[in-house]
Order: sequence, then structure tokens, then C-alpha cells
Amino acid sequence: MRLSLSGFFSSTSARKLRIIGVVLFGLAGGVYATNYSLWVNGRSSNAQPGNHADFSYWGPASTAAGVNKVSVNWDGKSRVADQNYRIRDALDCYCTGNNWCYVAAHSAGNLQIGYALSLYGGSARTKKNASPNSAGVCGATDGSTQTGWNIKWVDVAAGAGGGSELANVGSWAVSDALTSDLKTATARAMYDHNQTRAKWFYMFAGSKGTLYSAVLPGQDDEAVAYHSAGGVSGSGGAGFCNPSDWFCNDLTLGTAANEGGAAKWAYHSVKFRDDSESLNHYTNGNWGGVVSKVRADMATYAN
Amino acid sequence: MKRGHVLGLGAAAIVAVAALAFFMGADAPDADSTDGKSAASGTSVLPAGNDSAASAASGSTGPYSAAGLQARQAQLALWQARYERAEQLYASYRDATRYPHDSRPIAENPDQIRPFAPVTEELKLLNDKGEPIKGVRLRTSQERVFLSAGETVRFSIQAVDENNLPLSLTIRNAAARSIADSRTPVKTIQALLSFTDNGSGADDTAGDGNYTARLSPAAQGFENYNGTIRTLAEVTANGQQGVVQLDVIYTPDVPATWGGVREAVEAGSLNFYIKLNVRQAGRYVVSGRVDDANGVPFALVQFNDELTAGTREVRLQVFGALIRDKAPGFPLKLRDVDGFLLIPDTFPDRAMMARQPGVIYTSARYNRDRFSPNEWTSEERERYLTEYGKDAETARQQVQDLTPK
Repeated sequence: MRLSLSGFFSSTSARKLRIIGVVLFGLAGGVYATNYSLWVNGRSSNAQPGNHADFSYWGPASTAAGVNKVSVNWDGKSRVADQNYRIRDALDCYCTGNNWCYVAAHSAGNLQIGYALSLYGGSARTKKNASPNSAGVCGATDGSTQTGWNIKWVDVAAGAGGGSELANVGSWAVSDALTSDLKTATARAMYDHNQTRAKWFYMFAGSKGTLYSAVLPGQDDEAVAYHSAGGVSGSGGAGFCNPSDWFCNDLTLGTAANEGGAAKWAYHSVKFRDDSESLNHYTNGNWGGVVSKVRADMATYAN
Repeated sequence: MKRGHVLGLGAAAIVAVAALAFFMGADAPDADSTDGKSAASGTSVLPAGNDSAASAASGSTGPYSAAGLQARQAQLALWQARYERAEQLYASYRDATRYPHDSRPIAENPDQIRPFAPVTEELKLLNDKGEPIKGVRLRTSQERVFLSAGETVRFSIQAVDENNLPLSLTIRNAAARSIADSRTPVKTIQALLSFTDNGSGADDTAGDGNYTARLSPAAQGFENYNGTIRTLAEVTANGQQGVVQLDVIYTPDVPATWGGVREAVEAGSLNFYIKLNVRQAGRYVVSGRVDDANGVPFALVQFNDELTAGTREVRLQVFGALIRDKAPGFPLKLRDVDGFLLIPDTFPDRAMMARQPGVIYTSARYNRDRFSPNEWTSEERERYLTEYGKDAETARQQVQDLTPK
């Protein structure tokens, strides 16, 4: 699991062989390859399901947020299982055949992409043409299939993959079906979070939480605690904090086990920890909160 | 898509030219950006207004203006970062997929080692204003989250102080209720539960402060119900009142039943085959844990594929290279097997098969040489390594072009 940075190109001859492979791959059919940046929303009341051009959940559509960005809108209130076809439809559209994807997810969108990869990530997918209809479904290209999707990596802002204690105690003002899925025990039992098919989940955790800090253990962003946003394995309820807090175990950066020994899920790496407690959970319609960090990461690396 | 086609063709041509130049011994040209895709994306991290300067900077051999130099340095930093990530992705994917995705070292999956251990959680006791009551924590457990047919679930609740010492606890009006996911009125099913600490029934030890109850959905009115059952219990801990919620998700039907297990060494791997009597066709997800001869957890093996109705076998593979690398002592023991039918696009999304706790099969003893040391190969793996390799090479080339000579 730990990275072996043995060097991709350890010798000139290896580099030349790799280049030959790349060129041949391109000439053999990779010439139509396009990269896309898929954004998967969390709880929402305004997302337009199936409309891949609607960025109202996130912020101005003109903002740079990765190459060829697409908004994977699901309804943001139903059970994850009920709506997961929206995510799989989008992955089929843009992440099959010669096309590849970068994925960004927010909050409950973490559950959606994790669920899709863990339970359907090894299934046969029909290669699609990246031209969705109004329902967000694309047509087949040549009728052939492939195993799983073409996903380079996943960025997760304020991930709710581990659930939220706010759902456990009924503190949320809304009590939709999604809230039941967000209970910590339910979210963590929903699928094997380690099974990402070796795709990295880069976790971005905010800590500007005050309103619910008495309910959420350790640091939180006002909706999820670090145990979830940091991809910590095991039961919910455990508190993890910034290093400045002496009375609470640290959420560590990267893949290392956290202070106190709690491991992270496989292929989960904490990329950002909000040591200055300056970012909360919410986009505020302008790519705000901890989503701002994921947006910047996507703009830099999703090319 | 059209833009993508054009860019793709352009990028491929540029890569081909660059590669040819490389093989002819020439330095890669620094006059033309090979970043066709990112140029189209509008996702440069450069401040607005610097794109043209950057382009000019990377498109000439200098000397540069101050703005051009700055832009070039920013581009170099960007591509160095991209190269670092691309190289990391390639190396980590290559190493991780030495074994297939469904045959993994158990160390990668710490929360899968003991799948049938109760789910334990801690929460703060809240008052009627939703504020936490200082010095009182509730520790809950539930045997499982998903269950079906005649399966039952044991709940426990304990109150402790900040030093984990038990506090006095009373539990009143505990009941399990069906929870409707829609706003359509449906008849609520309700069953009373009795949490006790008297060492009888579901309770193991009398007077330890751990109150337990058992929910038996099929015997308590939920036998035809499909969905969430929420247990609500009113608690008084150290004189303070609050409520505990515990959810399980129930389905009345069992989609398949287990049969026997056999083993086979095939293509250099050890395969366990578990027989299933499949009543309901569909995608089945089955997981098992493999311990070595000393009972040390060794591997997580999984199956996720479609099955038709009838007598079928699912294969749980212990990959040859995994055996060769980790050198577990034989015989291997297959234990704690669980499985469910995954039902797409609906809730509940699964119908559980009965758990198979404990060791269900012990393998023969084998010499390690029976197993193949070869890494996993598949179309999926080659596809990923090719793409990650292409990204790393593109980024490396950019770094080389932008690095001052």
C-alpha cells in the first residue's frame, strides 16, 4: 500500500520503451481521447438531476475547475442506492473507451462515488459517446464493453463517506432519506470503503466548525467530523484534530495511520487538513468552504 | 466532443513528433507547448493575464522579460507538481495491482478483518435543547446493520463518564419502528423492546451497566417489511434524559443459500469455490477472510459478479503472487464469509445471505512452489498503466522543456 517511489523512468532505455508504447497507443486508437472533470454534489435542494451543465450547486460555471468539467447532478436528498445510477450514467458517459476522468466529490458525493467504485467498479461497462441526453444518459459507441471506468483519481471535499453524528442524533433540520444513509454506522457499512480498485481518494478536510462542535467529535466543518472527511477506518464517534490540539489525536496528512493508531481506508490520503480552522463545509454558491481547496487542486492537476 | 477530437489528434501528433525527435537524438523542441488539453481547458493556475506571457516565455529561447521569466517559472512549478503526482500514480498503481483487486493483503483492509464484530459507537447525551450534557457519554453497539429473514440483531447501550467509568442508566419506552423513506403515508410497524442488565436473554452479564436488547424482525411484525427499522430508546443517564437512535436495514427474503466449499490450484493460484443455491438471479457480492495456519489474518478475498438462478459456485481466489510474497503457513483457513444480492437503483439495495462465522474451510498443505510468482495481468491493468505512463511522460517532457538549460 505504501508508495514505492522507485521512479517511473529509472533509465533512458525504459523511458524510450515507455514513449514507444505511448506513441503506438495513440496511433492505434487513442487519438480521440478526451479528459473530463466530473463534479459529484452532496446534499442539495437545487441540483438538476441528469443535467450535466448545471453548476448551481457549486458556483459560477465559468470558474476553472478542471479540464472539460461536468456536473454530475443527482437529487441530493434520496438514498445513495436510489440515485447512484446518476453517477454510474455519468461515469459511463465520460469515463469509458478512450476517455478518462478526474472526479471531485463533496460531502455525500463521497458516498456516491465510493459506492459506485466499490460495488460496480469491476462490472462490465458499455463504452459511451460522451453526448448525454436530458436525462444524463449517453449513447453507446461501438457496443463493446470494458471492465470498470477510466478514472485517474478522486478528490473529496468534506467527505461524508464515514457519515455524520448530526444524522445520528437528528440534529439536521431536514430529515430526508439521505439523512438515514448519513448515520455513521449505516454509511460505514454501506460498502467496503477500501475497495477503490487502486484509485486514490485525496481527502480535503475543513475545520471551521462551531455550531455543532459539541455533537461532532474532534475537529469538524459544521457538518462532518475529521474521522469522515479524513477517511478514517473503523467506527464513527472517534475524535481527530489538528496538531495544535494537545488533547485529541491528530488526523495525519497522507496515508499514515492517525495518532492513536487508527488507520485510514486503503487508497485514501489526506491532502489537506485545515490547521488554521478557516474553511467550513459549505460552497455558498461560489466554490466556497473546503471545496475551494478541491477546486484549486482540480484546476492544477486535472488537465 | 469535436474539440476533444481535434485536440486529441493534435496531441497525438505532437507526442509522435516529440518522440521521433527524441529517438533521433534531438532535444525536445521547447518552442511548442505539448499541453494541448490544458490549454483548451482554461484551467491554468497562472494569474489572469499571464497566459500570454507564459506562452511567450515557453515558446522562445530567451532572453525573457521579467514577466516572462516569472511566468515560465510558474509553468515549471506547475509541471513539476503534475509530474510528481503522475509518477506517484503510476508507481502506486503498478505496485498495488501486483495482485488483483479481489485478492488483497488483509493489512490493507483493517476494518474487514473482523466483519462480524459489533458496530460500536460513542455519542454525547443531548438535552432537550440539543446541547450536550457535560460528563456523560453513551456507548452503543449493534451486531449488524443489514439483516434478512430470520436474522436478529442485538443492541447495547452503556453510559460512561469522561474516565470511561459506568454511570447509572435507565432505559424507558424503547421501541423499533419502520421508517418510511417517502412522504406517502404507510402503516407504521412498531415493536416494543426491553433493554435489560440482568444477565438473561440478550444480556451477557448482570449489573455491568451495559443494557441490551434483541430485535427479531421476522418474529416481531416486520416479516413482510423491506427497509429501515429504527430503534428509539429514552435514556436517563446520571439523572439526565436523552434519546438514542439505532438503525438497521431489513429485507424479508434470503436470495441464496450456502453450499459446500472445495479448493483447486489453478493457474498458479489457490481458489476456494463456494457453492450457492441461487434463488434470485443478479449481482452477488461475497467476501471471505483467509488466515494462515496460526490463525493470523492474511488475505481478503472477494467475489462480485452476476449469477443466474440455480446451483452455482463463486470463486474466492488467493492469488499466487500474494502467497509467494507473504509466505503464509499452510493450511490456510477460510473464515467469516458474508454475501448479499446487490439490487441496483432501489432501497434497500441488498438482500443478505446468512453470515458464515468462523472457519468454514481448511485448505490442504502446499509447497509454496506450487504457486506462481507472476504479477496480475489484465486488460484493465494495462489500460491504466498505459494512461498513467502517458501522463507521466507528458509531464516529464514539459518539465524538461521548461527547465533552464
